[in-house]
Amino acid sequence: MSNVIVNRVAEFLKRFPPFSFLGDGDLTRVAQSVAVHYLEQGEILFRQGEAARPHFFILREGIIHLVETSQKGEEIREVCDEGDVFGVLALLGKRPYLLTSKVIENSLIYAIPVAVFEKILEENSRVALFFAAGFAAGQVVVRQDLSQGQKARSELKKASGDHPLLIFSDQSAVNFSEKVLNCPPETSIQNAAKMMAEAQVSSIVICDSQDFPLGILTDKDLRSRVLASEISPQNPVSQVMTRPVITRKKQDGFSNLYLTMIRHRLHHLVLTEDGTDQSPVCGIISDHDVFLSMGNSPAVLIHGLMNTQEVGEMRKIRDRAEQMLCYYLENEVSMEFVASVMTEINDVIIRQALEISKTQLKAQYPEMNSTRFCFLSMGSEGREEQLLRTDLDNAILYEDVAEGLQSKATEYFLKLGEGVVEVLLACGFDPCPGKIMASNPEWVQPLSVWKNYFSDWILHPSPEALMKVSIFFDFRFVAGSNALAAELSDHIYQEIGKKQIFLNFLAQNAMKNPPPLGFFRDFVVEKSGENRDQFDIKLRAMLPLTDLARLLVLSHQIVGINNTFQRFEKLAELESSNSELYSQAGKAYEILMRMRALEGLQNKNNGRYINPKSLGKLQRQLLKNAFAPISELQEIVNIRFQLDYFRR
Amino acid sequence: MSWWEFWKPKHERLEFIRDFLTANEQTIPGIRSIDQLNFTVLDTETTGFDPSRDSILSFGAVKVSELKIQISTAVEWYPLSENTGDKTAQIHGLVDIPDQISKEEFVRKLLAYLGNSILVGHHLGFDLEMINRQLSDFGLDQLPNAGVDTLSLAIRLEHGPQADQNRIKMGTYSLDALCERYGIDTDDRHTAAGDAFLTAQLFLKLLKVAERKGIINYRDLIKNW
Repeated sequence: MSNVIVNRVAEFLKRFPPFSFLGDGDLTRVAQSVAVHYLEQGEILFRQGEAARPHFFILREGIIHLVETSQKGEEIREVCDEGDVFGVLALLGKRPYLLTSKVIENSLIYAIPVAVFEKILEENSRVALFFAAGFAAGQVVVRQDLSQGQKARSELKKASGDHPLLIFSDQSAVNFSEKVLNCPPETSIQNAAKMMAEAQVSSIVICDSQDFPLGILTDKDLRSRVLASEISPQNPVSQVMTRPVITRKKQDGFSNLYLTMIRHRLHHLVLTEDGTDQSPVCGIISDHDVFLSMGNSPAVLIHGLMNTQEVGEMRKIRDRAEQMLCYYLENEVSMEFVASVMTEINDVIIRQALEISKTQLKAQYPEMNSTRFCFLSMGSEGREEQLLRTDLDNAILYEDVAEGLQSKATEYFLKLGEGVVEVLLACGFDPCPGKIMASNPEWVQPLSVWKNYFSDWILHPSPEALMKVSIFFDFRFVAGSNALAAELSDHIYQEIGKKQIFLNFLAQNAMKNPPPLGFFRDFVVEKSGENRDQFDIKLRAMLPLTDLARLLVLSHQIVGINNTFQRFEKLAELESSNSELYSQAGKAYEILMRMRALEGLQNKNNGRYINPKSLGKLQRQLLKNAFAPISELQEIVNIRFQLDYFRR
Repeated sequence: MSWWEFWKPKHERLEFIRDFLTANEQTIPGIRSIDQLNFTVLDTETTGFDPSRDSILSFGAVKVSELKIQISTAVEWYPLSENTGDKTAQIHGLVDIPDQISKEEFVRKLLAYLGNSILVGHHLGFDLEMINRQLSDFGLDQLPNAGVDTLSLAIRLEHGPQADQNRIKMGTYSLDALCERYGIDTDDRHTAAGDAFLTAQLFLKLLKVAERKGIINYRDLIKNW
């Protein structure tokens, strides 16, 4: 029978691993068996060398140190706070305690009999693996740091085996045909079609004598390039095949292969021994294989988006993408993959919106059809990090036009921008509070004006300019003419080259938000305080990392990497001495993105404010660890750009 | 002992009361240390504050032994009362209660559960009056168990044994106020079991304070009661 007291204990346990993996029945059974201790500062729960008690412990509140006593004296091995599980190792190994547990702050401790838990360990592979993962790493306290957390969770995923999305972490589960239908280039189209019909497949790979792929012919090609174009079926296939073939090797892992297919809109991806077309074909993945493996797939959604210009329909598809996002996040799919997929979906929506808007204006402004322009995404969408439909930040850049056309161009591109923004808003995106949108005349400008904007910000780095920089410097070409965007990038690097001190201003700006170190500490110890309820994850944790990554990337003159975590990866590559820190920072950023998106999805908002109390132990630990690289990075930046001196 | 005579003329079905009383004949030695004592921390929700008219809507309790709250012993019972549908019931939000048990079943369960443990409660006297009222129909005029009131214990520990309760602001000794003072989260106030659990946590914390003041055995603990 459920009971208020048991429920209260269960509610607490549920927030922390491994209890978070338990079903309600098991959880109640565990909660029912708890004994609550209260120890005051200075007391000892168990001593090193004592025989293991028949229960292990989870700290309900307070702080306990696990201390090792040796000839060298006492050494603190672990600090336990709320939700930490300890005293397990001795108990599972049935040997004496290795450490002494000292109460540092008055502690309420839940003791759980091992007998109850052993049964659950036997039945629940996730819980067993959770413990195993921790102990293999020599942990005395059950909790996870950044890398181990990820490792442990991916192991758990494999163990449970109940998710179709396993394929993302386990490449051996990729379904693809190893038998690839192929033919030499001189085969007639008709014979090739016959072979396809016989084998009941939708594609044939054209190979040379060494089995190296030359091209591919699909059902669609037969329809559009042969029948519709009235080409004789007696001609050789080499005349109508798609070439060159995009190839990958199967060891690339499913998410990579799949991303290639999405990016290049491939229905078939050819796999070769070494991944180039200079090695033998060894397999083929069709989008049909992919569809069979999952329901709400990115390819399906993108396909849907590409085939509609109806805004209501686009909105529905974007909503579905959010469901898929939720699924990905909960299943720990790699952030790189998730961000790429969501960016691609957002980009397709923007391109479709642009098409819609263009079509509407076509008749009215015939003279503008040939004017080159480019649609830029800024801010988080520019960085390919926009998972949720948070603020729109975008702009339009068009080529300088002849004098007589100027007013016409101003009018046309503004209307074009307005049209795009309207579609995006209808698709559920939020407008930019700072009005940095393609519907604002200030941000719909010819190249020369844009160059002046950036020159001005770089030469006169006022606080306001620096704020703009943080948004505009992450611009990314989404549609139109990429060359214009590239020209603007070149201009920016030239200007920065001329005025290196700009980077110092940028650095100063990046230091404005100190990391929230000690936040959880305060939270655990203090019972009240202004941060008790909410935590601004964007301002306090993500923004400092974004700013630092941008600054460092600019200082290395790197172009084309917009993603904060990819920027950190690149930095790790460039500066081997700091590579550890950079990759930590990259990982931290991924975790923050994941948490923010999950929070936003749960609460149907932008996820910016997080209630730390609602987080589980693992999440809190991850969040806490994610703050750590920020201060170290700021230290490096401080020294590198000599900010203390600079600030006078 | 006066209660002994009360049970004598009753029927055989009241055997459970005899068992209970037998268990309570054993006295607890005064020098028994506190960590060897068995406590039942309890709370009741009632239809009102007049023991002669009102009755118990719910009873929640949990045991403390070896100075640990034993969650496995947590209970929550809802005895049927004569005046269900009373306005107070609605105030307490206890209108449609599942698993209600008859008055006799409640008393049977209660006595078996209490045994000879030391009863602990906040404003224990009120809860005992309500319970005793239920027991009187079964020939028992009051529970023979020893009791510790966490309210009096807190005052005794904070103001000394000679404290004059009339000169103390009682508001600062409500369960809510004490929980806040001793750092106990009060999520489940106003359910009998929720309050019993809070009281149990408060009791553990108070016992630590008591220990520092030299109150370490049964005799010390129940001295004033």
